[in-house]
Amino acid sequence: MIKITNLEKFYRTEEVETIALNKLSMEVNTGEFVAIMGPSGCGKSTLLNILGMLDDPDEGSYVFNGVEIAHFNERKRADLRKHNIGFVFQSFNLIDELTVFENVELPLIYTGVSSSERVKRVEEVLDKMQIMHRRNHYPQQLSGGQQQRVAIARAVVNKPKLILADEPTGNLDSSNGNDVMELLTDLNEQGTTIIMVTHSEHDARYSHRIIRLLDGQTVMENIMV
Amino acid sequence: MFKNYLKITWRNLLKNKSFTAINIAGLAVGMASAALILFWVQNEISYDQFHEKKDRLYQMYNQSVFDGKLWSWGTTPKPMTPALKQNYPQVEEATRVSGADFLFTLGDKHLNLRGDFTDPDFLTMFSFPLVKGDAKTALNSMKNIVITQKTAKKLFGNDEAMGKTIRIDSVDYFTVTGIMKDLPNNTQFDFEYIIPWSYWEKLNGGPDNNWGNNSVQTYITLKKGVSESKFDKQVKNITRSHSDIKDIDVFVHPATKWRLYSKFENGKIAGGRIETIKLFSIIAGFILLIACINFMNLSTARSEKRAKEVGIRKVVGAGKSSLIAQFLGESILIAILAGIVALIIVQLSLPGFNTLTDKHLFMPFGSFSFWLIVVSFILFTGLLSGSYPALYLSSFLPVKVLKGTFKAAHTSISPRKVLVVTQFTFAIVLIISTIIVKEQLDYAQQRDIGYKKDNLVYTMIVGDIEKNYSLIRNELISSGVATAVSKTSAPITQGWSDSWDFSWPGKNQNEKIDFNVFNTDGSFTQTMGLKIIKGRDLDVKTYPTDSLAILLNEAAVKIMGFKDPVGQIVTRGDNKLKVVGVVKDFILQSPYEPVKAMIIQGPKSWFNVVHFKLNNKNTTAQNLKLAEAVFKKYNPEYPFEYHFIDEEYARKFQDEQRTGVLASLFAGLTIFISCLGLFGLATYMAQNRIKEIGVRKVLGASVLSITSMLSKDFLKLVAISFIVATPIAWYGMHSWLQGYSYRVNITVWVFAIAAFLTTLLSIVTVSFQAIKAALANPVKSLRSE
Repeated sequence: MIKITNLEKFYRTEEVETIALNKLSMEVNTGEFVAIMGPSGCGKSTLLNILGMLDDPDEGSYVFNGVEIAHFNERKRADLRKHNIGFVFQSFNLIDELTVFENVELPLIYTGVSSSERVKRVEEVLDKMQIMHRRNHYPQQLSGGQQQRVAIARAVVNKPKLILADEPTGNLDSSNGNDVMELLTDLNEQGTTIIMVTHSEHDARYSHRIIRLLDGQTVMENIMV
Repeated sequence: MFKNYLKITWRNLLKNKSFTAINIAGLAVGMASAALILFWVQNEISYDQFHEKKDRLYQMYNQSVFDGKLWSWGTTPKPMTPALKQNYPQVEEATRVSGADFLFTLGDKHLNLRGDFTDPDFLTMFSFPLVKGDAKTALNSMKNIVITQKTAKKLFGNDEAMGKTIRIDSVDYFTVTGIMKDLPNNTQFDFEYIIPWSYWEKLNGGPDNNWGNNSVQTYITLKKGVSESKFDKQVKNITRSHSDIKDIDVFVHPATKWRLYSKFENGKIAGGRIETIKLFSIIAGFILLIACINFMNLSTARSEKRAKEVGIRKVVGAGKSSLIAQFLGESILIAILAGIVALIIVQLSLPGFNTLTDKHLFMPFGSFSFWLIVVSFILFTGLLSGSYPALYLSSFLPVKVLKGTFKAAHTSISPRKVLVVTQFTFAIVLIISTIIVKEQLDYAQQRDIGYKKDNLVYTMIVGDIEKNYSLIRNELISSGVATAVSKTSAPITQGWSDSWDFSWPGKNQNEKIDFNVFNTDGSFTQTMGLKIIKGRDLDVKTYPTDSLAILLNEAAVKIMGFKDPVGQIVTRGDNKLKVVGVVKDFILQSPYEPVKAMIIQGPKSWFNVVHFKLNNKNTTAQNLKLAEAVFKKYNPEYPFEYHFIDEEYARKFQDEQRTGVLASLFAGLTIFISCLGLFGLATYMAQNRIKEIGVRKVLGASVLSITSMLSKDFLKLVAISFIVATPIAWYGMHSWLQGYSYRVNITVWVFAIAAFLTTLLSIVTVSFQAIKAALANPVKSLRSE
């Protein structure tokens, strides 16, 4: 599904140039659950942003489903992204002014799904995440665990092939964290490819494979049994 | 998608009530002001553009050289109309127009009404439709009259007016042969009735064939297909070919230019009201822009709050264009709300605005095009104010904003600062202009007018006043009402007559010099309180030859070059006029212009007005009551109508007063809207820097130092605005003052006052928020992380 080769990304300020990704290569197959680990500043988030087409690499190749997209413009990336990728963030990133239902509905609006179909699909996914009873609440009225479940519901409502999760349990207590990991595992078992950035060895154990990064390079790959 | 946008917009508006209020209030005030001005502009440019024949409708103009300069003017000799109709086949219709002032009597009802004498063609040339009667024939007979609906109501109430008889000036009976639809609010004509020219001829003993007496307006329509420039060439010599006047050219002024292009310089159109229209349109545009800038500034200042939403929307698939659409939708929604408020403001302020501008503007709620314009105006405002925020907000990169570390760029010249400087520059220009207009007004009002205007009253000579004048005068004085009475050709505040038909020893005969002409029967200097500098006043009782004597003013003595004016002979036509005295210059016409040369003729001339100086031994009320009794006794049919000269004189400042009020109004509104925006910006700044303030306080900063730190940034912008505004204001007001010969100098003080005012206002606006932020407990702000 994903094949990146010699990917490079630099950040420049007036005086210093920081290398975030240094000729990084990796592959992720359809249906895999991959965890990316490493210390702060190793390039995890940069990698995830590039994989998620939120950012573009400075050098190297990124082939997504057989298409080279490293030099797609913002509009083409956005188009590819909204049909294929769902995001889950550490800080949930829900829109405060929208209700649970409306937050989850948002991706469907941008992909042009009809109103009746939207209601059906949002209700289906809210049901699956067990937050149907909270559908008319606003994000601030929910607990952290519930908010993350809404965020996951939003990530999957469009039935993406790939979910990118950036420390999805980072702001949760362990019991809520485990629930979220169970949810992701379920989704993976139903065929969704998952790439997750995490600091937690515990969470990483849910994955099939752990890629460890240091200074923008792959230092080790563990295959989970 | 649209519903979703609307929802989030609405919730945003409710959540940030104070900003919603600032945005809506600012935009509404801006839109209402711009709308009022545009209303005025629309009314001005539509003046007399509703006449169906406007493309071939013209006013005749004269042109001649005076004092070496080519002058153009729109009053013409009376015989021009018949000459045009008889000798110029290109002319389809022609009419004279001249004011009429008659007492209408109907049973025991007496009314003084103002109308016009016209030729019968008038009704078919202009689109003033008759609701009753036939425009082609209504003025065909001498004793016919056409009255407006309002006049019909005044005279006949709800009774049928058509075909009724009205007595005019106790002598003649007229039949109503037409009822005219009331005049619209956008025509230069202002009459309550029109009566046939033939009646003027009857009153004045036959047609006036004098081509040297320019006293009426002449209008024509040209036949279809006749070109204006060709006709100009053909009509140029009409005065020469009909008289022995050799130095007057005639040309036509088209109806499409009457209102806006009526100023001529050297025979060419040199603008006119169009300049005011342009200036006001620019002001309207700026006020609207300033209101829109508020919206832009507040929206982008709040961008840090909206950034997360933008990031999320982009992550889940929103394209830039759909976000632009969303933010434009928000600004349009706010513009709609502001538009509704603005409509209410306009409706409420129209009466005051009408008084101020001397107009009759109203909102045509029943008209489709009105609503079309309202909707377009709102959309335009929404798009204008939303464009920059939409582009700015939609360009956020999700990678940056979702990290939670997002801070809007703090570049040294941010667009927001440029926008604030734009607002304040405009506000300061208006403040400076207001002060200078007021100074100029004060300056002209304090000018020595040369006569004593207090307790001086005049009344028009109507009915039997002329016949019984001596009796009236004697009784006014003997009863103690007045200390002096003088019969004159015009009120002392107005010049009704001028002439270049004078010659004197030593005059260069090739040169035309124009004099104001004033007539009096005597007691002139005593009644007006004028000062005699040389010689004596006209006094026909003591010096019977004074019926052909004249007085000169100082300006006349100077222009005639007399070393010893008293005793000189000035010739006018066949009359030899002897100078018996010189009066000190006094202001007859514009208080802004130098006093023009003037000749005051003795009793052997014509009179329209009686002036009398009230006796200050009685109260004004007593005097007027007694005076009324005297006039009623000798002129029983007419109501006693009087005018105070000091009130009349004050009216000379109306235009400038109006300019002053409008300028201060615009300045006030601009400052209000700008400060509203500044207040909003200061609020956000205080919120954004709350942590910094906390840290500074913990480290020992005082409230004062924090307040001044927060205010400083804004004051810098105001200072820059002042530097930009000063030359603009100076240039603008310098040009404005060039229109006045008698004018103030622009001093540094004006700028100092404007700087002080603006700084004070912005300090008050900003420091409120700054002090609030500085006083806040740092424990709270630091804990909130």
